[in-house]
Amino acid sequence: MAVPISQMWTVATYVLKKRLSGQKRYPLVLMLEPLFRCNLACAGCGKIQYPAHILKKELSPEECFRAVEECGAPMVSIPGGEPLMHPRIVEIVEGLVARKKYIYLCTNALLLKEKIHQFKPSKYLTFSVHLDGQREHHDFSVCREGGYDQAVAGIREAVKRGFRVTTNTTLFDGADANSVRAFFSEVMSMGVEGIVLSPGYSYDKAPDQKHFLGRARTRRLFRAILSNRDREWKFNMSPLFLEFLMGKRHYQCTPWGAPAYNIFGWQKPCYLLQDGYASTFSELMETTVWEEYGTESGNPKCANCMVSCGYEPSAVHDTFGSFRGFLSTVRATLFNRYEDHGARDLLNEPYSGAVPASSPLVQIVSDSRREFEETRV
Amino acid sequence: MTGKSASEHETKPVDPESLELAPGTKHEILEGWVPTLASEQETIEALEKAFDYRGDVTITRKDGPVVEGYIFDRRTGSSLAESFVRLFPKDSSEKMTIAYSEIAGLAFTGKDRAAGASWEAWVKKWNEKRSAGEKGFGLHPEKLD
Repeated sequence: MAVPISQMWTVATYVLKKRLSGQKRYPLVLMLEPLFRCNLACAGCGKIQYPAHILKKELSPEECFRAVEECGAPMVSIPGGEPLMHPRIVEIVEGLVARKKYIYLCTNALLLKEKIHQFKPSKYLTFSVHLDGQREHHDFSVCREGGYDQAVAGIREAVKRGFRVTTNTTLFDGADANSVRAFFSEVMSMGVEGIVLSPGYSYDKAPDQKHFLGRARTRRLFRAILSNRDREWKFNMSPLFLEFLMGKRHYQCTPWGAPAYNIFGWQKPCYLLQDGYASTFSELMETTVWEEYGTESGNPKCANCMVSCGYEPSAVHDTFGSFRGFLSTVRATLFNRYEDHGARDLLNEPYSGAVPASSPLVQIVSDSRREFEETRV
Repeated sequence: MTGKSASEHETKPVDPESLELAPGTKHEILEGWVPTLASEQETIEALEKAFDYRGDVTITRKDGPVVEGYIFDRRTGSSLAESFVRLFPKDSSEKMTIAYSEIAGLAFTGKDRAAGASWEAWVKKWNEKRSAGEKGFGLHPEKLD
Protein backbone atom coordinates (compact mmCIF):
# COMPACT_ATOMS: atom_id res chain seq x y z
CA MET A 1 0.00 0.00 0.00
CA ALA A 2 1.41 3.39 -1.00
CA VAL A 3 -0.37 5.60 1.51
CA PRO A 4 2.02 6.73 4.27
CA ILE A 5 1.46 5.44 7.80
CA SER A 6 0.78 8.92 9.22
CA GLN A 7 -2.01 9.48 6.70
CA MET A 8 -3.50 6.05 7.34
CA TRP A 9 -3.40 6.72 11.06
CA THR A 10 -5.10 10.10 10.66
CA VAL A 11 -7.88 8.63 8.53
CA ALA A 12 -8.29 5.55 10.73
CA THR A 13 -8.61 7.55 13.96
CA TYR A 14 -11.00 10.00 12.27
CA VAL A 15 -13.27 7.20 11.06
CA LEU A 16 -13.16 5.35 14.37
CA LYS A 17 -14.03 8.53 16.29
CA LYS A 18 -16.99 9.14 14.01
CA ARG A 19 -18.20 5.58 14.39
CA LEU A 20 -17.76 5.57 18.16
CA SER A 21 -19.72 8.80 18.38
CA GLY A 22 -22.55 7.12 16.48
CA GLN A 23 -22.35 9.46 13.47
CA LYS A 24 -23.76 7.62 10.47
CA ARG A 25 -22.89 10.09 7.73
CA TYR A 26 -19.60 11.90 7.65
CA PRO A 27 -17.20 13.02 4.93
CA LEU A 28 -13.81 11.46 4.29
CA VAL A 29 -12.52 13.71 1.53
CA LEU A 30 -13.57 17.25 0.68
CA MET A 31 -13.59 17.83 -3.06
CA LEU A 32 -12.61 21.48 -3.16
CA GLU A 33 -13.03 22.98 -6.62
CA PRO A 34 -11.52 26.47 -6.45
CA LEU A 35 -12.32 27.21 -10.10
CA PHE A 36 -13.80 25.61 -13.22
CA ARG A 37 -11.28 27.10 -15.64
CA CYS A 38 -9.04 24.58 -17.39
CA ASN A 39 -6.29 24.57 -19.99
CA LEU A 40 -7.51 21.31 -21.48
CA ALA A 41 -10.82 20.39 -23.09
CA CYS A 42 -11.02 16.63 -22.48
CA ALA A 43 -13.67 14.67 -24.34
CA GLY A 44 -14.90 12.82 -21.25
CA CYS A 45 -15.07 15.81 -18.93
CA GLY A 46 -18.33 17.56 -18.09
CA LYS A 47 -16.89 19.95 -15.52
CA ILE A 48 -15.85 23.01 -17.45
CA GLN A 49 -18.70 23.84 -19.82
CA TYR A 50 -19.78 27.21 -18.41
CA PRO A 51 -20.17 30.79 -19.66
CA ALA A 52 -17.01 32.91 -19.47
CA HIS A 53 -18.14 34.93 -16.45
CA ILE A 54 -18.51 31.69 -14.47
CA LEU A 55 -15.14 30.38 -15.64
CA LYS A 56 -13.52 33.61 -14.51
CA LYS A 57 -14.82 33.19 -10.97
CA GLU A 58 -12.78 31.45 -8.30
CA LEU A 59 -12.90 30.71 -4.61
CA SER A 60 -10.74 32.91 -2.41
CA PRO A 61 -8.33 31.23 0.04
CA GLU A 62 -10.60 32.37 2.87
CA GLU A 63 -13.62 30.69 1.27
CA CYS A 64 -11.57 27.51 0.83
CA PHE A 65 -10.46 27.50 4.48
CA ARG A 66 -14.01 28.13 5.69
CA ALA A 67 -15.27 25.17 3.65
CA VAL A 68 -12.49 22.91 4.90
CA GLU A 69 -13.24 23.77 8.50
CA GLU A 70 -16.99 23.43 8.02
CA CYS A 71 -16.57 20.00 6.47
CA GLY A 72 -13.92 18.65 8.84
CA ALA A 73 -12.72 15.85 6.54
CA PRO A 74 -9.09 14.81 7.09
CA MET A 75 -8.31 14.81 3.35
CA VAL A 76 -8.88 17.51 0.75
CA SER A 77 -8.81 16.82 -2.94
CA ILE A 78 -8.39 19.92 -5.11
CA PRO A 79 -9.71 19.22 -8.60
CA GLY A 80 -11.24 21.76 -10.92
CA GLY A 81 -10.81 23.02 -13.56
CA GLU A 82 -7.05 23.16 -13.37
CA PRO A 83 -6.04 24.27 -9.87
CA LEU A 84 -2.62 25.49 -10.99
CA MET A 85 -4.43 28.19 -13.02
CA HIS A 86 -5.77 29.67 -9.76
CA PRO A 87 -3.67 32.77 -9.02
CA ARG A 88 -3.71 32.07 -5.26
CA ILE A 89 -3.34 28.29 -5.28
CA VAL A 90 -0.06 28.42 -3.33
CA GLU A 91 -1.77 30.36 -0.56
CA ILE A 92 -4.64 27.87 -0.52
CA VAL A 93 -2.28 24.90 -0.30
CA GLU A 94 -0.16 26.48 2.42
CA GLY A 95 -3.29 27.24 4.46
CA LEU A 96 -4.46 23.65 4.19
CA VAL A 97 -1.03 22.28 5.09
CA ALA A 98 -1.07 24.54 8.16
CA ARG A 99 -4.40 22.93 9.06
CA LYS A 100 -2.78 19.48 8.71
CA LYS A 101 -5.07 18.36 5.93
CA TYR A 102 -3.82 15.71 3.53
CA ILE A 103 -4.12 17.42 0.16
CA TYR A 104 -4.36 15.82 -3.26
CA LEU A 105 -3.84 18.62 -5.76
CA CYS A 106 -5.28 17.15 -8.96
CA THR A 107 -3.53 18.62 -11.96
CA ASN A 108 -3.04 17.88 -15.62
CA ALA A 109 0.54 19.06 -14.92
CA LEU A 110 0.79 21.24 -18.02
CA LEU A 111 1.87 24.04 -15.67
CA LEU A 112 3.54 21.94 -12.99
CA LYS A 113 7.13 22.32 -14.11
CA GLU A 114 6.68 26.07 -14.41
CA LYS A 115 5.02 26.51 -10.99
CA ILE A 116 6.56 23.80 -8.83
CA HIS A 117 9.15 26.14 -7.33
CA GLN A 118 6.34 28.05 -5.59
CA PHE A 119 5.39 25.02 -3.47
CA LYS A 120 7.19 23.44 -0.52
CA PRO A 121 7.36 19.66 -0.14
CA SER A 122 5.27 18.36 2.74
CA LYS A 123 3.88 15.03 3.84
CA TYR A 124 0.48 16.73 3.61
CA LEU A 125 0.80 17.69 -0.05
CA THR A 126 0.52 15.28 -2.97
CA PHE A 127 0.42 16.26 -6.61
CA SER A 128 -2.07 13.90 -8.20
CA VAL A 129 -1.23 14.08 -11.87
CA HIS A 130 -3.93 13.26 -14.38
CA LEU A 131 -2.53 10.70 -16.79
CA ASP A 132 -5.00 8.52 -18.65
CA GLY A 133 -2.49 5.98 -19.92
CA GLN A 134 0.55 5.69 -22.13
CA ARG A 135 1.51 8.63 -24.35
CA GLU A 136 -0.83 8.00 -27.25
CA HIS A 137 -3.77 6.98 -25.06
CA HIS A 138 -3.36 9.97 -22.76
CA ASP A 139 -2.99 12.50 -25.56
CA PHE A 140 -6.01 11.09 -27.34
CA SER A 141 -8.06 11.03 -24.15
CA VAL A 142 -7.28 14.59 -23.09
CA CYS A 143 -7.48 15.87 -26.67
CA ARG A 144 -3.97 17.34 -26.68
CA GLU A 145 -1.05 15.97 -28.59
CA GLY A 146 2.07 16.41 -26.45
CA GLY A 147 0.12 16.52 -23.17
CA TYR A 148 1.69 13.31 -21.90
CA ASP A 149 5.24 14.56 -22.34
CA GLN A 150 4.47 17.80 -20.54
CA ALA A 151 2.81 15.95 -17.66
CA VAL A 152 5.68 13.50 -17.34
CA ALA A 153 8.18 16.38 -17.28
CA GLY A 154 6.16 17.86 -14.42
CA ILE A 155 6.08 14.54 -12.57
CA ARG A 156 9.84 14.09 -12.88
CA GLU A 157 10.50 17.60 -11.63
CA ALA A 158 8.15 17.18 -8.66
CA VAL A 159 9.66 13.82 -7.72
CA LYS A 160 13.17 15.28 -8.03
CA ARG A 161 12.21 18.09 -5.64
CA GLY A 162 10.93 15.65 -3.04
CA PHE A 163 7.18 16.06 -3.46
CA ARG A 164 4.70 13.28 -3.00
CA VAL A 165 3.32 12.45 -6.46
CA THR A 166 0.64 10.04 -7.60
CA THR A 167 -0.89 9.55 -10.98
CA ASN A 168 -4.63 9.72 -11.45
CA THR A 169 -6.16 7.73 -14.29
CA THR A 170 -9.72 7.75 -15.57
CA LEU A 171 -10.74 4.89 -17.82
CA PHE A 172 -13.43 4.83 -20.46
CA ASP A 173 -14.78 2.22 -22.82
CA GLY A 174 -12.12 1.14 -25.27
CA ALA A 175 -9.33 1.40 -22.71
CA ASP A 176 -6.54 -0.97 -23.62
CA ALA A 177 -5.90 -3.20 -20.60
CA ASN A 178 -2.42 -4.29 -21.71
CA SER A 179 -1.41 -0.72 -22.34
CA VAL A 180 -2.80 0.35 -18.95
CA ARG A 181 -0.71 -2.34 -17.26
CA ALA A 182 2.40 -1.22 -19.12
CA PHE A 183 1.56 2.34 -18.13
CA PHE A 184 1.48 1.34 -14.44
CA SER A 185 5.02 0.01 -14.74
CA GLU A 186 6.12 3.17 -16.56
CA VAL A 187 4.80 5.55 -13.93
CA MET A 188 6.15 3.51 -11.03
CA SER A 189 9.58 3.74 -12.66
CA MET A 190 9.24 7.55 -12.59
CA GLY A 191 9.30 7.40 -8.80
CA VAL A 192 5.66 8.17 -8.08
CA GLU A 193 4.29 7.11 -4.72
CA GLY A 194 1.33 5.28 -6.17
CA ILE A 195 -1.42 5.07 -8.72
CA VAL A 196 -5.01 6.26 -8.42
CA LEU A 197 -7.59 5.08 -10.92
CA SER A 198 -11.29 5.07 -11.51
CA PRO A 199 -13.80 4.46 -14.26
CA GLY A 200 -15.11 7.71 -15.72
CA TYR A 201 -18.50 9.08 -14.80
CA SER A 202 -21.05 9.56 -17.57
CA TYR A 203 -21.24 13.35 -17.40
CA ASP A 204 -24.22 14.43 -19.47
CA LYS A 205 -22.36 17.60 -20.49
CA ALA A 206 -19.21 15.85 -21.75
CA PRO A 207 -18.51 16.04 -25.49
CA ASP A 208 -18.11 12.27 -25.78
CA GLN A 209 -21.30 10.45 -24.84
CA LYS A 210 -20.37 7.10 -26.38
CA HIS A 211 -17.56 5.72 -24.24
CA PHE A 212 -18.85 5.59 -20.69
CA LEU A 213 -18.29 2.19 -19.17
CA GLY A 214 -21.27 0.27 -17.86
CA ARG A 215 -20.87 -1.69 -14.65
CA ALA A 216 -20.43 -5.11 -16.28
CA ARG A 217 -17.72 -3.88 -18.60
CA THR A 218 -16.07 -1.89 -15.82
CA ARG A 219 -15.67 -5.03 -13.71
CA ARG A 220 -14.26 -6.99 -16.64
CA LEU A 221 -11.82 -4.24 -17.58
CA PHE A 222 -10.56 -3.77 -14.04
CA ARG A 223 -10.34 -7.51 -13.49
CA ALA A 224 -8.08 -7.72 -16.55
CA ILE A 225 -5.99 -4.77 -15.43
CA LEU A 226 -5.70 -5.41 -11.72
CA SER A 227 -5.30 -9.21 -11.60
CA ASN A 228 -1.86 -10.78 -11.87
CA ARG A 229 -0.26 -7.58 -10.61
CA ASP A 230 3.38 -6.73 -10.97
CA ARG A 231 5.15 -6.45 -7.64
CA GLU A 232 6.28 -2.87 -8.20
CA TRP A 233 2.78 -1.47 -8.70
CA LYS A 234 1.50 0.52 -5.77
CA PHE A 235 -1.96 1.98 -5.48
CA ASN A 236 -2.75 5.04 -3.43
CA MET A 237 -6.25 3.74 -2.83
CA SER A 238 -8.27 1.47 -0.61
CA PRO A 239 -7.47 -2.13 -1.61
CA LEU A 240 -11.11 -3.03 -1.02
CA PHE A 241 -12.20 -0.39 -3.51
CA LEU A 242 -9.92 -2.00 -6.08
CA GLU A 243 -11.57 -5.36 -5.31
CA PHE A 244 -14.93 -3.66 -5.83
CA LEU A 245 -13.83 -2.51 -9.28
CA MET A 246 -12.66 -6.05 -10.07
CA GLY A 247 -16.10 -7.42 -9.21
CA LYS A 248 -14.99 -9.14 -6.03
CA ARG A 249 -17.08 -7.00 -3.70
CA HIS A 250 -20.39 -5.24 -3.70
CA TYR A 251 -20.76 -1.81 -2.13
CA GLN A 252 -23.47 0.79 -2.02
CA CYS A 253 -22.59 4.36 -2.85
CA THR A 254 -21.61 6.75 -0.06
CA PRO A 255 -22.39 10.06 -1.76
CA TRP A 256 -21.70 12.10 1.38
CA GLY A 257 -18.22 10.54 1.66
CA ALA A 258 -16.67 13.04 -0.74
CA PRO A 259 -18.73 16.25 -0.71
CA ALA A 260 -17.90 18.95 -3.23
CA TYR A 261 -17.60 22.68 -2.64
CA ASN A 262 -17.19 25.24 -5.41
CA ILE A 263 -18.19 28.78 -6.39
CA PHE A 264 -21.86 27.77 -6.35
CA GLY A 265 -21.76 26.31 -2.82
CA TRP A 266 -22.05 22.74 -1.51
CA GLN A 267 -23.01 20.54 -4.43
CA LYS A 268 -25.95 18.16 -4.03
CA PRO A 269 -25.56 15.25 -3.74
CA CYS A 270 -21.96 14.56 -4.71
CA TYR A 271 -18.95 15.60 -6.74
CA LEU A 272 -20.39 14.15 -9.95
CA LEU A 273 -24.07 15.03 -9.95
CA GLN A 274 -25.41 18.57 -9.86
CA ASP A 275 -28.84 18.52 -8.33
CA GLY A 276 -28.59 21.93 -6.72
CA TYR A 277 -26.48 23.59 -4.07
CA ALA A 278 -26.62 24.10 -0.32
CA SER A 279 -25.26 27.22 1.32
CA THR A 280 -23.63 25.40 4.21
CA PHE A 281 -22.20 21.95 4.81
CA SER A 282 -24.81 21.29 7.51
CA GLU A 283 -27.55 22.21 5.08
CA LEU A 284 -26.08 19.81 2.53
CA MET A 285 -26.03 16.94 5.01
CA GLU A 286 -29.47 17.66 6.44
CA THR A 287 -31.49 18.57 3.36
CA THR A 288 -30.16 16.18 0.73
CA VAL A 289 -32.50 13.24 0.22
CA TRP A 290 -29.66 10.71 0.14
CA GLU A 291 -31.99 7.79 -0.58
CA GLU A 292 -32.59 9.22 -4.06
CA TYR A 293 -28.97 8.59 -5.08
CA GLY A 294 -26.69 5.62 -5.63
CA THR A 295 -27.17 2.68 -7.95
CA GLU A 296 -29.60 0.97 -5.60
CA SER A 297 -31.89 4.01 -5.62
CA GLY A 298 -32.85 3.37 -9.24
CA ASN A 299 -31.80 6.90 -10.15
CA PRO A 300 -30.69 6.53 -13.79
CA LYS A 301 -27.99 9.15 -13.31
CA CYS A 302 -26.34 6.81 -10.81
CA ALA A 303 -26.99 3.56 -12.69
CA ASN A 304 -23.55 2.92 -14.12
CA CYS A 305 -21.46 4.77 -11.57
CA MET A 306 -18.58 2.97 -9.86
CA VAL A 307 -16.49 6.08 -9.38
CA SER A 308 -14.05 6.40 -6.50
CA CYS A 309 -15.66 9.47 -4.93
CA GLY A 310 -18.80 7.47 -4.14
CA TYR A 311 -17.46 3.98 -3.59
CA GLU A 312 -14.01 4.41 -2.07
CA PRO A 313 -15.54 5.92 1.08
CA SER A 314 -17.76 2.81 1.23
CA ALA A 315 -14.64 0.64 1.10
CA VAL A 316 -12.96 2.68 3.83
CA HIS A 317 -16.04 2.38 6.02
CA ASP A 318 -15.92 -1.36 5.44
CA THR A 319 -12.29 -1.48 6.54
CA PHE A 320 -12.95 0.28 9.81
CA GLY A 321 -16.53 -0.82 10.33
CA SER A 322 -15.94 -4.40 11.32
CA PHE A 323 -13.19 -6.82 12.26
CA ARG A 324 -14.02 -8.75 9.09
CA GLY A 325 -13.58 -5.65 6.95
CA PHE A 326 -10.29 -4.88 8.64
CA LEU A 327 -9.04 -8.43 8.11
CA SER A 328 -10.07 -8.26 4.45
CA THR A 329 -8.05 -5.09 4.06
CA VAL A 330 -5.00 -6.66 5.70
CA ARG A 331 -5.35 -9.68 3.46
CA ALA A 332 -5.78 -7.52 0.36
CA THR A 333 -2.69 -5.55 1.32
CA LEU A 334 -0.48 -8.55 2.00
CA PHE A 335 -1.71 -10.84 -0.77
CA ASN A 336 -2.09 -8.34 -3.56
CA ARG A 337 -1.06 -10.24 -6.67
CA TYR A 338 -4.56 -11.59 -7.51
CA GLU A 339 -3.48 -14.51 -9.68
CA ASP A 340 -6.30 -15.10 -12.15
CA HIS A 341 -5.99 -17.20 -15.33
CA GLY A 342 -9.32 -15.94 -16.64
CA ALA A 343 -8.03 -12.39 -16.41
CA ARG A 344 -4.95 -13.39 -18.42
CA ASP A 345 -7.29 -14.73 -21.09
CA LEU A 346 -9.01 -11.36 -21.20
CA LEU A 347 -5.66 -9.73 -21.89
CA ASN A 348 -5.14 -11.98 -24.88
CA GLU A 349 -8.31 -10.91 -26.64
CA PRO A 350 -7.77 -8.63 -29.65
CA TYR A 351 -7.95 -4.89 -29.09
CA SER A 352 -10.14 -2.60 -31.12
CA GLY A 353 -10.51 0.19 -28.64
CA ALA A 354 -10.97 3.91 -28.56
CA VAL A 355 -7.62 5.13 -29.82
CA PRO A 356 -7.55 4.97 -33.60
CA ALA A 357 -4.08 3.49 -33.70
CA SER A 358 -2.42 0.25 -34.66
CA SER A 359 -1.70 -0.97 -31.12
CA PRO A 360 -2.17 -4.76 -31.29
CA LEU A 361 -3.59 -4.90 -27.82
CA VAL A 362 -6.78 -5.74 -26.03
CA GLN A 363 -10.50 -5.22 -26.32
CA ILE A 364 -12.42 -6.34 -23.31
CA VAL A 365 -15.52 -7.80 -24.84
CA SER A 366 -17.29 -10.96 -23.80
CA ASP A 367 -20.56 -12.01 -22.30
CA SER A 368 -21.15 -9.62 -19.43
CA ARG A 369 -23.39 -11.70 -17.20
CA ARG A 370 -21.06 -14.70 -17.30
CA GLU A 371 -18.08 -12.56 -16.33
CA PHE A 372 -20.01 -10.92 -13.54
CA GLU A 373 -20.92 -14.27 -12.05
CA GLU A 374 -17.34 -15.36 -12.31
CA THR A 375 -15.85 -12.34 -10.69
CA ARG A 376 -18.30 -11.28 -8.04
CA VAL A 377 -17.81 -12.58 -4.51
CA MET B 1 -42.95 19.59 -6.76
CA THR B 2 -40.01 17.39 -5.96
CA GLY B 3 -37.02 19.30 -7.21
CA LYS B 4 -36.10 16.42 -9.51
CA SER B 5 -35.77 16.87 -13.22
CA ALA B 6 -38.71 15.58 -15.17
CA SER B 7 -36.67 13.04 -17.07
CA GLU B 8 -35.14 11.42 -14.01
CA HIS B 9 -38.08 9.38 -12.90
CA GLU B 10 -39.56 8.71 -16.30
CA THR B 11 -36.66 6.67 -17.63
CA LYS B 12 -37.20 2.92 -17.74
CA PRO B 13 -35.46 1.09 -14.91
CA VAL B 14 -32.28 -0.65 -15.98
CA ASP B 15 -30.40 -3.53 -14.45
CA PRO B 16 -27.27 -1.57 -13.63
CA GLU B 17 -25.17 -4.66 -13.02
CA SER B 18 -25.58 -5.84 -16.59
CA LEU B 19 -24.75 -2.53 -18.23
CA GLU B 20 -22.00 -2.88 -20.80
CA LEU B 21 -22.02 0.69 -21.99
CA ALA B 22 -23.64 3.51 -20.11
CA PRO B 23 -26.16 5.19 -22.34
CA GLY B 24 -25.02 8.71 -23.08
CA THR B 25 -27.24 11.74 -22.98
CA LYS B 26 -28.79 13.13 -26.12
CA HIS B 27 -28.17 16.82 -26.02
CA GLU B 28 -31.30 18.96 -26.20
CA ILE B 29 -30.92 22.11 -28.28
CA LEU B 30 -32.21 24.92 -26.11
CA GLU B 31 -30.14 27.88 -27.24
CA GLY B 32 -32.48 30.62 -28.43
CA TRP B 33 -35.57 29.01 -26.91
CA VAL B 34 -38.17 31.32 -25.40
CA PRO B 35 -40.61 29.12 -23.49
CA THR B 36 -44.11 30.20 -22.71
CA LEU B 37 -44.78 30.42 -18.99
CA ALA B 38 -48.55 30.48 -19.12
CA SER B 39 -49.16 27.77 -16.56
CA GLU B 40 -47.52 26.62 -13.35
CA GLN B 41 -46.44 23.39 -15.05
CA GLU B 42 -44.84 25.24 -17.98
CA THR B 43 -42.98 27.50 -15.60
CA ILE B 44 -41.64 24.60 -13.55
CA GLU B 45 -40.54 22.63 -16.60
CA ALA B 46 -38.89 25.61 -18.27
CA LEU B 47 -36.98 26.58 -15.15
CA GLU B 48 -35.84 22.99 -14.65
CA LYS B 49 -34.37 23.10 -18.14
CA ALA B 50 -32.83 26.49 -17.41
CA PHE B 51 -31.19 25.01 -14.31
CA ASP B 52 -29.70 22.23 -16.43
CA TYR B 53 -28.62 24.60 -19.21
CA ARG B 54 -24.90 25.40 -19.47
CA GLY B 55 -25.35 28.90 -20.79
CA ASP B 56 -26.78 32.21 -19.63
CA VAL B 57 -30.49 32.87 -19.62
CA THR B 58 -32.42 36.11 -19.51
CA ILE B 59 -35.17 36.49 -16.93
CA THR B 60 -37.75 39.25 -17.13
CA ARG B 61 -39.32 39.94 -13.76
CA LYS B 62 -42.98 40.77 -13.39
CA ASP B 63 -42.07 44.13 -11.88
CA GLY B 64 -40.00 45.03 -14.94
CA PRO B 65 -36.24 44.45 -14.41
CA VAL B 66 -34.38 42.12 -16.73
CA VAL B 67 -31.54 39.91 -15.45
CA GLU B 68 -29.12 37.97 -17.61
CA GLY B 69 -27.07 35.31 -15.87
CA TYR B 70 -26.27 31.69 -15.15
CA ILE B 71 -28.76 29.65 -13.10
CA PHE B 72 -26.84 27.24 -10.87
CA ASP B 73 -29.58 26.17 -8.48
CA ARG B 74 -33.29 25.84 -8.11
CA ARG B 75 -35.21 25.07 -4.97
CA THR B 76 -38.75 23.94 -5.41
CA GLY B 77 -41.47 24.31 -2.82
CA SER B 78 -45.18 23.70 -2.70
CA SER B 79 -46.04 26.70 -4.87
CA LEU B 80 -44.41 29.06 -7.37
CA ALA B 81 -44.05 31.65 -4.61
CA GLU B 82 -42.10 29.14 -2.53
CA SER B 83 -39.88 28.03 -5.39
CA PHE B 84 -36.71 29.86 -6.36
CA VAL B 85 -33.91 29.95 -8.86
CA ARG B 86 -30.47 31.09 -7.79
CA LEU B 87 -28.14 32.63 -10.34
CA PHE B 88 -24.97 34.57 -10.90
CA PRO B 89 -25.87 37.67 -12.95
CA LYS B 90 -23.51 38.13 -15.87
CA ASP B 91 -22.13 41.39 -14.53
CA SER B 92 -21.96 40.60 -10.82
CA SER B 93 -20.23 38.27 -8.41
CA GLU B 94 -23.18 38.35 -6.01
CA LYS B 95 -25.62 35.45 -6.10
CA MET B 96 -29.23 36.42 -6.75
CA THR B 97 -32.43 34.60 -5.79
CA ILE B 98 -35.67 34.99 -7.74
CA ALA B 99 -38.99 33.35 -6.90
CA TYR B 100 -40.69 31.45 -9.73
CA SER B 101 -43.78 33.55 -9.09
CA GLU B 102 -41.84 36.75 -9.90
CA ILE B 103 -40.78 35.55 -13.34
CA ALA B 104 -42.71 36.89 -16.34
CA GLY B 105 -40.35 35.78 -19.08
CA LEU B 106 -37.45 33.43 -19.69
CA ALA B 107 -35.16 33.18 -22.69
CA PHE B 108 -32.18 30.90 -23.32
CA THR B 109 -30.07 33.74 -24.68
CA GLY B 110 -26.51 32.64 -23.90
CA LYS B 111 -24.44 30.20 -25.89
CA ASP B 112 -24.87 26.60 -24.76
CA ARG B 113 -21.36 25.75 -23.60
CA ALA B 114 -22.11 22.03 -23.51
CA ALA B 115 -22.99 21.93 -27.21
CA GLY B 116 -20.73 21.89 -30.18
CA ALA B 117 -17.56 20.06 -29.17
CA SER B 118 -18.03 16.59 -30.54
CA TRP B 119 -16.09 13.40 -30.07
CA GLU B 120 -16.37 12.61 -33.76
CA ALA B 121 -14.75 15.92 -34.66
CA TRP B 122 -11.85 15.15 -32.33
CA VAL B 123 -11.31 11.66 -33.77
CA LYS B 124 -11.28 13.13 -37.29
CA LYS B 125 -8.83 15.84 -36.26
CA TRP B 126 -6.60 13.29 -34.47
CA ASN B 127 -6.43 11.07 -37.52
CA GLU B 128 -5.77 13.92 -39.95
CA LYS B 129 -3.13 15.70 -37.88
CA ARG B 130 -1.29 12.54 -36.92
CA SER B 131 -1.21 11.37 -40.52
CA ALA B 132 0.30 14.71 -41.43
CA GLY B 133 2.91 14.35 -38.67
CA GLU B 134 1.77 17.49 -36.84
CA LYS B 135 2.66 18.11 -33.21
CA GLY B 136 0.99 19.98 -30.39
CA PHE B 137 -2.51 19.97 -31.83
CA GLY B 138 -5.58 19.52 -29.71
CA LEU B 139 -8.92 20.82 -28.60
CA HIS B 140 -8.63 24.03 -26.66
CA PRO B 141 -10.98 25.65 -24.18
CA GLU B 142 -12.85 28.63 -25.53
CA LYS B 143 -11.42 32.09 -24.92
CA LEU B 144 -12.89 33.79 -21.87
CA ASP B 145 -13.32 37.22 -23.45
